[in-house]
Amino acid sequence: MADKTRITIVGGGVGGYPAAIRAARMGAEVTLIEKDALGGTCLNWGCIPTKALLQSAGVVRTMKESATFGVKCKGYEVDFGAVMARKNTVVAQLTRGVGALLKAKKVKVIQGTASFVDAKTLQIRETGEKVQGDAVLIASGSVPGRIPIEGIDGPDVMDSNQVLAMKTLPKSVVVIGGGVIGVEFAQFLVAMGTEVTILEMLPGLVPGVDREIAALLQKQITAAGVKVVTGAAVKGIAHSKTENVVTYTVGDKTETASAEKVFLTVGRKPDFSLLDIDRIGIRHERGAIVVNEFMETSVPGIWAAGDVVGGIMLAHLASAEGECAVRNILGHREPMSYRAVPSCIYTMPEVASVGLTEEKAKERGDIQVGRFPLRGNGKALVLNETEGLVKVISDRKHGEVLGVHIIGPHATDMIAEAVLGMTMEMTAEELAGAIHPHPTVSEAIMEAAMVIAGGAIHMP
Amino acid sequence: MPVEIVMPKLGLTMTEGLIVEWRKKEGDPVKKGDILFVLETEKVTYEVEAPEDGTLGKILVREQETVPVGAVVAYLLKPGEAAAEVAAAPAVAPKAEAASPAPAAAPAAQTAAQPAGGRVKATPLAKKIAKECGIDLSLVAGTGPGGRVIREDVEKAKAAGVKAPVPAPAAAAPSAEDRLVAFTGMRRTIAKKMLQSKIEAAQTYMSNTVDATKIQQYREELLPYVEKKYGVRLTITDLMMKVTGAALREHPVINTRWTDKGVLYLSEVHMGMAMALDEGLIVPVIKNVNSKSLGQIAQERTALIKKGKTNSFLPDDIKGSTFTLSAMGMFGIEQFTAIINQPENAILGVAAIIDKPVVVKGQIVIRPMMNVNLSYDHRTIDGAEAGKFMQTLKAFIEEPFLILA
Repeated sequence: MADKTRITIVGGGVGGYPAAIRAARMGAEVTLIEKDALGGTCLNWGCIPTKALLQSAGVVRTMKESATFGVKCKGYEVDFGAVMARKNTVVAQLTRGVGALLKAKKVKVIQGTASFVDAKTLQIRETGEKVQGDAVLIASGSVPGRIPIEGIDGPDVMDSNQVLAMKTLPKSVVVIGGGVIGVEFAQFLVAMGTEVTILEMLPGLVPGVDREIAALLQKQITAAGVKVVTGAAVKGIAHSKTENVVTYTVGDKTETASAEKVFLTVGRKPDFSLLDIDRIGIRHERGAIVVNEFMETSVPGIWAAGDVVGGIMLAHLASAEGECAVRNILGHREPMSYRAVPSCIYTMPEVASVGLTEEKAKERGDIQVGRFPLRGNGKALVLNETEGLVKVISDRKHGEVLGVHIIGPHATDMIAEAVLGMTMEMTAEELAGAIHPHPTVSEAIMEAAMVIAGGAIHMP
Repeated sequence: MPVEIVMPKLGLTMTEGLIVEWRKKEGDPVKKGDILFVLETEKVTYEVEAPEDGTLGKILVREQETVPVGAVVAYLLKPGEAAAEVAAAPAVAPKAEAASPAPAAAPAAQTAAQPAGGRVKATPLAKKIAKECGIDLSLVAGTGPGGRVIREDVEKAKAAGVKAPVPAPAAAAPSAEDRLVAFTGMRRTIAKKMLQSKIEAAQTYMSNTVDATKIQQYREELLPYVEKKYGVRLTITDLMMKVTGAALREHPVINTRWTDKGVLYLSEVHMGMAMALDEGLIVPVIKNVNSKSLGQIAQERTALIKKGKTNSFLPDDIKGSTFTLSAMGMFGIEQFTAIINQPENAILGVAAIIDKPVVVKGQIVIRPMMNVNLSYDHRTIDGAEAGKFMQTLKAFIEEPFLILA
């Protein structure tokens, strides 16, 4: 039998570690190099810790609403230190789990910073150790983005990594950037009792999300107590001993917002700064590594996956890309499919979507939209969360589902049904025809599809 | 004077023709250009038009009768001549009517409605589109999750001309009575040629399974360019004609003809392309494939398919091939052997590209594999020569840009 294929993976985040396990399962000899913590941004500074914090926010909401459900509570108190400690516990348990999984699959994990010597060789900066292999997968991830404005380096201006390491709860915060990261932080902080202002440059929160759904989210975030300013172009941050004053313009008016801390949540950017990829001529454009449909870079034998290749930067997509890359390294030839990539926002209510927004779908052709408000859903009423909506968008000719958008309880779990459906090229008819369990919020997806395929039951 | 309508001579070699169908009845008014009747020769069917305005008079040759070229088959009456002539032949009119329903249309409609046996894994969208276009999903190779037929596959099949054919009349109507279908001229020709080839040639076979990764990849890459420049969809068949042509250039003994005086080595490759019509097999020819671009080949192939569908082949379209390629990829066939199209000395059967596990560098991996099967006449071509040709062909399919070298 021939020698095993040796694969070196740079980055132990969700782009790298599932790829390492997949490659090992397929019989490769895998070395994984991670400069910080296994699990990368997702487990340590992104998905998981933020969701852990939002869970605490959810408990606060339950306490506040308890009387509605006939349970009287004698007040509550947020122990911010304990909130952060629980988050850390969750993170620690998961990263330990990743380490154990890698070990079980005999993946060699090297702690250190890798850089290219040549196309087959990486060197660990800290130890000088050289790692050679048949193929390299770059999954070095991304870092929080920054914008070039005055005062951005001030002591109270924090990026998402720093926010997650806060020891005390600020009394007030200005969040610059009303994208997914910004609204999630705002949701968490306002529940904790912080005064929050979001400054978003575009006309609405969460750009890229279906406009109708985004408007509903903005309404609810505002109702929860967050001050939302849209169309706000931030000009500068002035720092004084007691507060930070953020200057911004809306139209031709100049305004200010003051707060104890300023959070900068203006997206993320691919990071390959320490890898020295130019030495071996790997092509990169607009700050991201360029790959073909099989996830291979311009240098044969070097592959890349996850945030470092830019595009949609989401954990589940990074994992899919990483696994696609190693399958191709090991002799398969499967193009990466971006047909059905879901995205989720863990606000209250949650938002989840897959496929085209109504706006984008309209640009492409003749469509039908099935809408079902959660007011007509029994389980949503039981949960006391009837402010929500499911939209199913299909093409008119064959009923192919082009997009599904949900705002409401359990949205982020429910979207998986639509992802499966779109992956299998389902049409609205199948979605409407599948028996959905009752009572669940998921019935709303079926009803929205029924609007397209012959009419809903629980809507006049 | 009534105008004589004669059996036309459509090509140098045409000696007689079969009248398949009269489109006009005796007594029908006709305009210049109206189709009077459909004739069939050994190879083509052809619609004969009225030479001028008038009324169709006496029909002398009935449907399914064969007459020599130049024979009068009917008279066309000019205004004023009508009454007497037409009145003389009222009895035959009902007969012509009864015989007129077009037999070709029936089997097609039958198979479209009838699902193929067994379960076909296809996405709901693919099923809808296939139903709409009348495509038999069991004939489409799936590339989706778990080998499912997805929308793209159906659209490709549609572009490749897969319909819902394979009319097996007996199986289609198990309770119907057995029936006798008279031989058409074309069927007789096919029967004669096939049997003759099997009897005369020392046919033997050589088969190889090749990795189609690159050829597929080149097709994908060239597709938009060819579509833009030539307005046609490039297919694997086009690429196969190109690389086969190149391989033939390197192995001239395969591109030969058996003659009574000796083996005729042909300087050019005229690629025959086996094509199924409703009535039977025909082999239109793409001339000089080695001096044509892929786009030109695709364009010619598309034009020939169109002619095939409308029965408008000219004799030159179906003559002069030096080697023939028969592709069964659209039916998902794994392997098959073709009968040599004589007087050629070899034919290549190109099967479907199917994902298969293969061993590469000690790893079991999945690769798109394709079987190519050479049927060759051992009277002319020795096994070693055939082997060398197949070796070159494999190299060219697996790395098509070698043909540039």
